[in-house]
Amino acid sequence: MEGRHGQKKEKAESPEALKAREEKEAVLVREYLGLKDSLKEIVDSNRRDNEALKITTALLRKSPDYYTIWNVRRTILKEGFLDNANEETANIIYTNELEFVQDNLRLNPKSYFMWNHRRWCLENMSKPRWDKELGMVGKFLEMDARNFHGWDYRRYIIRQVDLQDGQNKDTVLARAQTEFDFTTAKISQNFSNYSAWHNRSTLLGKLVENLTEQEREATVDNEFDLVKNAIYTDPEDQSAWLYDLWLIGREQRSISTLGASVISFNPLEIVVAFDEIVKLRHPFTVSTRIDHVAIPLAGEWRATGSDASLGSVWIFQQAPEVEYGPSVEVVIFSDDICAVRAGSTLPAAVCFELETLNQDFASISGRLGRLEIGKNLMYDVTKRIGPIAEPAGNLETQERSKKHLVTSLTTSGSMDDRVALLDREIASVRELVELEPDCKWPIQILSTLLSELRKTMSIHSSRAKEIDDECIELQEKLISIDPLRQERYEDRRTQLVFDRETLSIVKDSKRLPEVEFAENQPRDLDLSMRGLTHIPISSYFIHLDTLNLDSNAITSTRFLRNLLSVRRLNLSNNLIERLEGVQHAPSLEFLSLEGNQIAKWEDVMAGFVFWREGKLSRTGATVKVLLGLNPVVENEGGEYVLEKRWEDVGEVGVQIQWQTDEVRLAEEVQLRDDEGVIHMEGTRRVSATVVEFDAGAGH
Amino acid sequence: MSHSPAPSSPELLLDQHVKYIKELDTKKNDLEYWLTEHLRVNGLYWGTTALHLLGRPEALDHDQIVEYLVKCQHDNGGFGGHIDHDPHILSTLSAVQVLITYDRLDAINVDRVVDYITSLHNPDGTFSGDAWGETDTRFIFCALNCLSLLKRLDDKRLNLDKTIEYIVRCRNFDGGFGSAPGGESHAAQVYVCVGSLTILGAQQHIDADQLGWWLSERQLKNGGLNGRPEKLEDVCYSWWVLSSLSMLKRVHWIDGAKLTKFILEAQDTETGGISDRPGNLPDVFHTNFGICGLSLLGYPGLVVVDPIYCMPRHVIQRIGLADKH
Ligand SMILES: [Zn+2]
Repeated sequence: MEGRHGQKKEKAESPEALKAREEKEAVLVREYLGLKDSLKEIVDSNRRDNEALKITTALLRKSPDYYTIWNVRRTILKEGFLDNANEETANIIYTNELEFVQDNLRLNPKSYFMWNHRRWCLENMSKPRWDKELGMVGKFLEMDARNFHGWDYRRYIIRQVDLQDGQNKDTVLARAQTEFDFTTAKISQNFSNYSAWHNRSTLLGKLVENLTEQEREATVDNEFDLVKNAIYTDPEDQSAWLYDLWLIGREQRSISTLGASVISFNPLEIVVAFDEIVKLRHPFTVSTRIDHVAIPLAGEWRATGSDASLGSVWIFQQAPEVEYGPSVEVVIFSDDICAVRAGSTLPAAVCFELETLNQDFASISGRLGRLEIGKNLMYDVTKRIGPIAEPAGNLETQERSKKHLVTSLTTSGSMDDRVALLDREIASVRELVELEPDCKWPIQILSTLLSELRKTMSIHSSRAKEIDDECIELQEKLISIDPLRQERYEDRRTQLVFDRETLSIVKDSKRLPEVEFAENQPRDLDLSMRGLTHIPISSYFIHLDTLNLDSNAITSTRFLRNLLSVRRLNLSNNLIERLEGVQHAPSLEFLSLEGNQIAKWEDVMAGFVFWREGKLSRTGATVKVLLGLNPVVENEGGEYVLEKRWEDVGEVGVQIQWQTDEVRLAEEVQLRDDEGVIHMEGTRRVSATVVEFDAGAGH
Repeated sequence: MSHSPAPSSPELLLDQHVKYIKELDTKKNDLEYWLTEHLRVNGLYWGTTALHLLGRPEALDHDQIVEYLVKCQHDNGGFGGHIDHDPHILSTLSAVQVLITYDRLDAINVDRVVDYITSLHNPDGTFSGDAWGETDTRFIFCALNCLSLLKRLDDKRLNLDKTIEYIVRCRNFDGGFGSAPGGESHAAQVYVCVGSLTILGAQQHIDADQLGWWLSERQLKNGGLNGRPEKLEDVCYSWWVLSSLSMLKRVHWIDGAKLTKFILEAQDTETGGISDRPGNLPDVFHTNFGICGLSLLGYPGLVVVDPIYCMPRHVIQRIGLADKH
């Protein structure tokens, strides 16, 4: 690395000592600059002889990272010596170079350019002695068992030899086994050799490829034993624990499609909700049937939020002037979406049938009201109402055989095997938790194992609830013994609490462990005083009318973008500094932000941004926002604030009004850019009136 | 949630650091000055960035530096670490970063810089460090960072899908990234890989929870961060770890107050400058990354740094990249 590392600062010297040192230093500088002058001569005169080589030797001894000199040296060697040398002579030259590098590596084991020069020699030699190299790097790793240059070089040697072998399967495997044994030796010398654990993980993946299921299990059990040896020796050492986590692996995450609903008939608008953020690869297929003929329905899919290409809630709006029949069907193919979270996939196609015959939407005039959840046909997608122009995806009618682990080595198709393994490991780590109650690692591993186990069961089972409760307790324990990472545990705790508190919203899907919306959605949800730091899955909330999040630790309101039906929202006493995501909370009438950390008026207004025309854009409607006990109220309040004194009133806030089309259009003319294009998206579409509410109003 | 403030954190020695950086070029009596000549252009980037974050952008003579940098550019478009030093992607990125920070790209031939970088692009998606062919995920990041700053990621000579594939192959069992496929996870390599994937809009290949977890375990009891498990803390990891956490939106997963205290304790109270850890000799590299770390932690009075490009946020805003990622 480029900076100074590990150089102790010396105590102040006496004037005499300083002078002596300065004189000595001056000699060294003169000497070095002399060498540099000679180098310049060489370069300018294209000298390629022994004398030139000696100059580079002297300079590189002093400045091994002076990469230009390595380049000069290679040019001298090549043009002055190697180009006209026979094989034997060339080998002698390269061998000398290797010795030169080796001498220098002892002093500068972390010089990239030195290791690089060594590779250059070996790659250009006719008969490189890889066995000797392996011996060299073995000794090297005895001196410093964690030097990553050394480990990188070791892997490089093996790769080169494998290539020379023409990738002969048996010898390659045998070599991997030898290297695996090398990591065993290194780990037994010192359990905290993370470099060795790491290398072991790369080798083990290769070695188990050719094993039978039974042999593989035995191998993995051996690994668990090795880990146990290590963690009982030093339970605070993270190397073995990180390896343990990898052995346990994680259930591959399936994206759940929670449901689909019609939210407007004119224009036709459909909402689809997922349980995590996805990117659209191909638009979902929408079709309708008119006179018994199925036809594709043109339109546009957009995610809610400021970035319309990314979200967990997607809204379709039909193209203008297109007719549709009594029912509409939405098909989402596996590869229509890609997850933002690594490793998540939509395991199979999903299909929803939506009733559009009865257009009595009186209940949603002015607001969305209660959304009818479309019929989920996901298990029977072949019964589509007709041919649909298929995107690049395949329509999967059968469940794929599910792999139960992310790590290749313990992958098993059997849920029972998975549960057995988890139960065994849980029992084993519980022993250590008892022995070492204040060590964070076994607690973290226990929590991970329990969470994995929970993925194998119904979310409504009593065992699942027990697990959630225990995991929440474990996070609280972790917060107390490892305060440095307090907020990480709080985020995890938030997820657990959220899962536990939203059980009325979702139910198990037939395709476990996926979930979907329950038939009867709660209208109100009280999540006050739950210690939530964020809202893990905001798409769960698209049907809610009233949401109470009073007295949590929420910092961001971006989740608001998915609260399509919410009318009343209490976010008082959180840690919010800025309002975001109100683009399309079209039903919102009342929002309390009392007791937050909003310091600027702009930070409230900026939250109200236009999304697009349609059901979710409202003009003329007003939202009452309470802002008492925020710094914005105590600050002078900016240009918006009335001259009246805030403190005198019971409740303070602002009445925010979505602008009418006339006002908006008048403003947009001024937003035309040089080419006359109107900037529509992200345009603020609200005006605000600061008002004082009567004390007690809105409660 | 805020952490309880760490007891008696030292102050940031702003004026002393400015003085330290300004005087770096006057130490010609020290052998060290000459032995680090190959890092002169990188050093200018570290010093420039640190001074901008300290709010003293004018402390170095911009014209003089631009004139010098122009002399470091070779005919093939690449920059050397100093005049007459061979071109390398590391110094090329530094030069471009300084010129953009000064808003002086007009001084050089940008097309040729792009030619140089694309000439180092390999069929497997990697970039070499220079004409001699060494590859490392660091060089991928240097190339992408530079091309992104120059708005030339759409160059037809690039195959960035391959680059993403290659980076994914460098991902390890712990969620981190190494210098090459099979290479051990290391916070600096994590930074360059997360940065590359972020620039390419491909963060979906990162398991943010797993990697954020690993990164937050880099914090030691004294508040400092290490680069790999069971290693010592070092101020420069304040940047590699923290910027990665920032790109993954998880800076709060470590204790910012304790890290702030650790960085401030590594300041040299006599000469100014920051060292790798308390009690050691300072250098401009650790001075810069210490200050960058403090900036990401929201240290009062410091100019905000961009976690991807490691340049002042306002510069990244000026060139229109701030909302891209
Ligand atoms: Zn360092």
